[in-house]
Amino acid sequence: MVSARAIDVFESFNRFNSGKKVREDTWDYVTVPTNAMIMKEKYDIRFGPGIIPEDEDLIDRLFMAGIDMLVTTGFYNTNLGKVLTVTEDEVFDGLKTAPMKLRLGKGKDRVSCKSRHRTAKSKPIIQGGPTGAPVSEDIFPYMMQSYAQERGVDTLVSGVLNTVNGNPATTNTPWEIRATLAEIRHVREACYTAGRPGMCI
Amino acid sequence: MDLAGLNMLAGWTANGDTIMIEQMPIFGGYTGGIEETAISAVATTLGSFALFSGNFHLDGPIHIRWGITTSRETLQIAAHTAAAIDNNTDLLIANQYYPMAGPCTEMCLLETACQAINDTASGRELLSGSAAAKGVVQDKTTGMEARIMGEAARTAAGMKVSDVNEIVDKLVSNYEKNYNDAPEGKTFRECYDVLTVKPTAEYLEVYEKALATLRAAGLDIKH
Repeated sequence: MVSARAIDVFESFNRFNSGKKVREDTWDYVTVPTNAMIMKEKYDIRFGPGIIPEDEDLIDRLFMAGIDMLVTTGFYNTNLGKVLTVTEDEVFDGLKTAPMKLRLGKGKDRVSCKSRHRTAKSKPIIQGGPTGAPVSEDIFPYMMQSYAQERGVDTLVSGVLNTVNGNPATTNTPWEIRATLAEIRHVREACYTAGRPGMCI
Repeated sequence: MDLAGLNMLAGWTANGDTIMIEQMPIFGGYTGGIEETAISAVATTLGSFALFSGNFHLDGPIHIRWGITTSRETLQIAAHTAAAIDNNTDLLIANQYYPMAGPCTEMCLLETACQAINDTASGRELLSGSAAAKGVVQDKTTGMEARIMGEAARTAAGMKVSDVNEIVDKLVSNYEKNYNDAPEGKTFRECYDVLTVKPTAEYLEVYEKALATLRAAGLDIKH
């Protein structure tokens, strides 16, 4: 059945709210592993020795198994303890709203992240950075500059400031907010220092 | 998904921001084996676009025993998941990097390069990294790991999947035997002159050695 409109985060919240109540341990230890095993058998998903798949039929069966897994299982909300459900048509309709291309950054430092396929000659976007690894406050901008100055790097991903003004950047404390803002400031500074002020961060 | 996540998404959606949704499936966790983890990764990737208005998705299959994304099993999950989505959609998909070895070691560079060509030949649009030393040791990441990630990806783009598969297998076979005794590597201060932000001669030598190993494996990285 054709869906009325694509699902967004607000509709998702409503569906979580009106969804079926399930215990978190049941979800983790029963629902997810059981359904994954069922999908594996139903779609005959067995990987060969190759790390990258070359069997086109297996690749497409895996996609359908993933769709079926999402529709059969739904999504779990850990705070509400409830499950959102979605139909296959709604999944496909939702995928149509996703962009095939994104412009990242500004000015001459802007790059275009476009849909590419497995044997495409275009390279992927390279997002350089510590990817959430912990970094000392005193070297943070310099470490980020070491990524920004690499010509093969297109955009930046930040590390995590270990402290801010000497205070631990602990989750759910005011210092976490200050640390987050300091990270952004330091990463932007690194872009300027490397001569790439418009780089996407 | 929790309510904090939904609330952040609501703010970004209302503001018209570009939204990246991240999810790291754990091989050996609740989903179990390689195939089951890949099925769940495809499902959650699709859900991030269809249910939560994501604009691109950041994956990162991780090994429950080793805590890395560069193991044979997690590379296989990542490649199959990406290929399945790549074959059937034009969605923008990314992967993140958690090698086992630390900076200024050949193993770290080979792990990073291996995942980069794996991701490139399985159709990913964006590579994000690299969090060397499993991303858990303070100050053990540097720009040199991102350099090899970019050079390897650029070289692999356009190659036949079967050729890339052979190289990936050679590289994983080279480093996976070191898992019990992986080199810890050096900190940023030991890898770079912090004031000039230039890598040390030692790291440049290690880098050259890694390039030679990659070329010997069949990845013809040019300067």
